[in-house]
Order: sequence, then C-alpha cells, then structure tokens
Amino acid sequence: MKILAHLIWAAIAVLGAYCLGGIALNHGEPINSIWLVAAAACTYAVGFRFYAKFIAARVMALNDDRATPAERLRDGLDFEPTNKWILFGHHFAAIAGPGPLVGPVLAAQFGYLPGTLWIIIGAVLGGAVQDFVILFASMRRDGKSLGQIAREEVGTVGGFTALVTVLLIMIILLAVIALVVVNALKGSPWGTFTIAATMPIALWMGVYLRWIRPGKVLECSLMGVVLVIASIFGGQWVSESATWAPWFTFGAIGLSIAVIIYGYFASALPVWLFLAPRDYLCTFIKLGVVLALGVGILFVRPELQLPAFTRFTDGTGPIFAGKIFPFCFITIACGAVSGFHALISSGTTPKMIARESHAYPVGYGAMLMESFVAIMAMIAACMLQPGVYFAVNSPAGVVGATPAAAVATISNWGFPVTAADMATLAKNVGEQTLFYRTGGAPSLALGMAAIFARGGGGASMLGFWYHFAIMFEALFILTIIAAGTRVGRFMLVDLTAQFSTAAARKMTGLVGVNVVSVAVCAAWGYFLIQGVRDPLGGINSLWPLFGISNQLLASVALCVATTILLKMHGPKFMWITCVPLLWLVAACFTAGWQKIFAAEPALGFLAHANQLERAMRSSPSASTAALIFNDRLDAVVTGIFLILVATILVDSLRAWVGILRGTRDAQVHEAPYVSSELQLEEV
Amino acid sequence: MRTLRRFASGVMALLRELSDESAYQRHLVAHGRAHSPEEWRHFSEHRLRAKYTRAKCC
Repeated sequence: MKILAHLIWAAIAVLGAYCLGGIALNHGEPINSIWLVAAAACTYAVGFRFYAKFIAARVMALNDDRATPAERLRDGLDFEPTNKWILFGHHFAAIAGPGPLVGPVLAAQFGYLPGTLWIIIGAVLGGAVQDFVILFASMRRDGKSLGQIAREEVGTVGGFTALVTVLLIMIILLAVIALVVVNALKGSPWGTFTIAATMPIALWMGVYLRWIRPGKVLECSLMGVVLVIASIFGGQWVSESATWAPWFTFGAIGLSIAVIIYGYFASALPVWLFLAPRDYLCTFIKLGVVLALGVGILFVRPELQLPAFTRFTDGTGPIFAGKIFPFCFITIACGAVSGFHALISSGTTPKMIARESHAYPVGYGAMLMESFVAIMAMIAACMLQPGVYFAVNSPAGVVGATPAAAVATISNWGFPVTAADMATLAKNVGEQTLFYRTGGAPSLALGMAAIFARGGGGASMLGFWYHFAIMFEALFILTIIAAGTRVGRFMLVDLTAQFSTAAARKMTGLVGVNVVSVAVCAAWGYFLIQGVRDPLGGINSLWPLFGISNQLLASVALCVATTILLKMHGPKFMWITCVPLLWLVAACFTAGWQKIFAAEPALGFLAHANQLERAMRSSPSASTAALIFNDRLDAVVTGIFLILVATILVDSLRAWVGILRGTRDAQVHEAPYVSSELQLEEV
Repeated sequence: MRTLRRFASGVMALLRELSDESAYQRHLVAHGRAHSPEEWRHFSEHRLRAKYTRAKCC
C-alpha cells in the first residue's frame, strides 16, 4: 500500500514537472490552458503533501492534544471550534479579493509564462508558508493580531511600524481598486446601472434582515442574488434606452467622485443597513463565480493566445513600465504572496481552529486555492487575442488618443488588431468602446464572458456574461472600499491613541467619526483622482505602489515568522521563511528604488516629474503642475514604505543577532499548554 | 449517494457559517435564549461591530 502511495505521488510529481516544462519550453504555437491547470494542480499537491506537512510536523510540531484558543476561550461568537472544511471555506472567502484576479491580468503583458511560474512557485514556497506560519503563531498566542505578535516577539518598533504600514497600504489599496472600478464603468450605462442597483438592493436586504425576517441571512441573500441578476438585464434595457442611458453614463472624474461619496456613506451608515448585507451578497457571489470559472475553464479548455513572453519583458510595457524582475513579482501579489493575508491569518481564523493540525489545510491549503484563482485569471486574460488585450489595457497616453492611432501602435508592436475588430467586440458585449479600459477588470470580464458564453447561451449572451463579470468584480471591490474606509478610520484612531488617548477618544464621537471618515476618503480619493488624471493611465503608477506596499507587508509578516522560528529552533529552520523574505525584500526594494529614481520617465516618478517640468517651461499649465506634484508625492510615499520596512528589517536583524548570540530573550510568548478535551464529534 | 449528501450538508454548513446564521445559533445556545427579532438585532450589532473593525483582504 505504501509503495502504491509512493508511486502515485511520484506520478503526480512527474506530471507536474512535465506540464511545467511544457509551458516553459513551448514558445511557438498557442498552448492549451489545461497545461497551466495541470502544472498548478500537481505542484500544489506536492507542495501541500510534502513541504507543508514537513513544516507542520517538524517545524511547528502541531499537537492535537493541545487545546486551541477556540476551545480554551470558547465564547460561542469569535472563539468557537469549527469544522476544518467549513473553516477552510471561511478563510478562503476572507483572503480572496480582487487582487488575485486583477494582478495576473496586468502581469500578462509580459506573456503568460513569468506570471504563471511566479503564481505557482511563489504560492507554494512563499505565500502559503507565510499564511500558515502566521496562522500557527496567532493560534498559539490566543488569536493575537500580527501587530501584537510583532510587538511581543520582535519589539515595540516593529509593532508600531506595522500599524503605520498597514494604514498606508490601506489608503493605496482603496485608491487603486477604486481606479479599477472607475475604468471598468466609465462610459458604460449598462455597468453603471447594474452597480448602482446593487445599492438599493443592499439597503433593502438590510431592512429585511433587521425588521422583516430577522436572522434569515441565507434566504435574504438568495433574494439579493436574484435581484442583482435581474439588474443586469435591467442594465441592458437602460443602455439601449435613449432616455435613460445618459443618466447612467459618466466620465472617469464623475465616477471617481461618486465612488468617493459612496465610500463615505457606506462607511458611516450603520453596518447592518448597508455594509453587512452587501458583504453577505458579495461573499456568496464571489464563491459561486470562482467555482463557476473553475468548472468553465475545465469544460471549455481555452487556448492561450498570448505568447509565453512578449516584447515587453524589456521593461517598455504599455500597461506598466519595468522589467520582469522586479515588476512581475510585485504586480502579482495576492495569488502568489500577499502581506494582507497575514492580517486575516491573525484575525478571525485562529480563533476558530478546533485542532492544531487543522492549521495545515486551512493556512496552507486556502492560499493554494487562492493561487489557483490567480491561474484562472491569467488564463482568462491570455485567451484574448493579444491585440485585443493590449487595446483594452493600454492608456491613451501610450498608444494614441484615437482608435485608429491605438490599433496602429499596437499592430506595430506585432499584435495585429483593427478598429473594426474592437468595434464589433464592443457591440457584442453592449459597450460603446473597449479602448483604454485600463485596470484589468474589463479584459478579465471579456475572458470570463467568453468562457461562460461557451458554457451557456453562446454569442447572444456575451453581453450579459460580460456585465455579470463586471458586476462581480465591481460589487466586491466596492464592498472592500466600504469596509476598508471604515477600518482605516479605526486604524487612524488606534494610531492617534499611541500619542494622545484624549484625542483618540474625541475621534470616536459623532462629529469625530464623520471627520475621520472624510479624512480617510479624502486620502484614498486623492490618489484615485490622481490615477484618473494620469496620462499614463494611473495603473502605471498606482498598481506598483500597491504591489510594493502589499509585498512589504508580507516582508513584515515574514520577519515576524522568522523571529518565531529562530526562537523555537535556533537557525535550523530559518530558511523556510528567510528565502521568501529575501526574495521579497530584493523585489520590493529594487522596484521601489526604480519607481523613485529610474531615469526613464515612464518608470521613475522623479524622472517623469522632471520631464513634465521641462515641458512646463515652454507652456505652463495648472494641470501639469498638479501632475508634477503627484509624481513627487508618489516618490515620497514609496520612500516612506521603504523606510518603514527597512526599520522593521533592521529591528528584526538586531533581534535575530541577539537571539543567536544569547544576549536577547529567546523565549516564545505562547499561551501556556492546556490539554484538549474536545470530543471527536465537536470537530 | 451518502457522499453526495455529506458534501451537500458540508456546503450548507459553510453557507450558514458565512452568513453568521451558525454563529447566531451558537449565541442562542450559549446564552440560553430563544430566537426573537430583538435577540437577532442584539446579536448582529455585536457581531458586525467586531467584524468590521478588521481589514478585508485585497
């Protein structure tokens, strides 16, 4: 039996290696997406079975006899032993956001290969390890947050810096995802109506749950899903109506202002009325769509039209500037390694783990699942004709301000596309135009629509499926904006409390709440408007900023994880977290340095500001002056990120050297051992 | 058939957990209370206040 198991695992490993070799070495003809699916699935299986199990058994020594916080601190609410597969789904739903969908679509400008390899290898050796170790650390510390663990295990500097880093990341994250929505909805009455309709639907759900049928969340969410789908059909009617279409047709600035106002109200309204029902709706739709996309890809098995490598590996890409190293590794954060996951792994999940061994499938396994979502997004983007992909994702400032100029530029790059092709495609999906829709969401929606349409409805349903995909992306991005603005408010209060408790208390009163909400909205709103006005499309400056910040947060988490492993075992197992840490630090610091100081104006913020300044000498204008200020602001923000993380790195290094020399306390701050008394039926 | 039924009940349990319905049931049991609109409002206010002070993932 044991020999048979060995043979099966050997076969899986060989198949994985064969598929990885197949996708890496095939540079000529289009490749079928099933190669990517098989390569990913086999690598995940081997990583999960051997690497994660090694970490669980040898490094963490997970012990089911030890009571978890869910058992010891059981309160029926936050702390509750939960079935491992339910917790797996719960954790996956919490970590899966728009990042693994959008990042791979943008990184596809290098071709399918660099992003795919990073998603697979990064997740197995980096992202899943980070999530797993932080989950383990939090579980052994009564479910404490990353900041608290950093303070206890590394030092107070690390803890405070982590708080500031997270707040700054949140602001950039909200701006960049808002930009994705704005670019997807501008000039689209169908999409705008559908998304606008989700707001009264959420309000109605809030009232239903509060007063009509309290507690019936599933029933209410099902009705919400039906209403949202009806609103997609309604959106089609609106877009075809000469009277109503203009009411829902907005430019980028108008939509940005609407999203900022939405962010303020959504975060300031009582959560039961708007945010919570919207979140329920969004979670169910998200899980359903991810599942449907997986099934769709297996059923349709589309061929990838983008090559393994494009000419933009040289750093001259139209979507964002910069070479594969480091920009592929910061563009795809969620899906490979995401620092944000460390916040979830040290949030709700560790309080619900029934047995220590469950941290293995939940912490490591859920990240592999998210990585697979990123692979699906990569497939959906790469199945588009390359010319169409670049026409949708390239900003007017790069390819030319008219469709004729854009197709000429893109065709000259070796990706033939015509204005007529683009017009037909736009008509088929019920849009006026698909040019300059930067941000990744529309091209992902095109890929998803093609997959879903082949599964149901054919070409006649392409418009419905396209807007269904746009609705799906915008719905949960807007939910994150609402929740993120609210969380940003709490973080600002926490941060103020570090200096003045009285001032922090004032911020929690009625006036204070509104002032802080406005401040948070103004902060991310400023970057959003900046992105919309950016002649290079906004994504070129904001997405790398977001990627750098997210990966820097992962560096913080990996510093904390390394400190814990060092305290537990000495230097023996440090490499487990040090290898991904070194890679991320190298990628983030190189990317950060290049974004600030690179001589090419498309890449370096300061070089771009200098170029604009030279242009302004001949024709001064207020808008150019604003662009110059924004470039310099982005350079400063990037610099702040690098300084913050350098601080944590130095603090961690000091702690590591002290532990190794024996001059510093090497005691881990785990909760005391208590024997588990959970019965089998309880887990 | 049995596997299918177990899978379906697992999916339903996940949906109930995601929708906070399971947490509400646990709350009722833990506090020895019966379901009422007032009880749900009390529970959801407490639950949601804690839920939305935490960051949502990107």
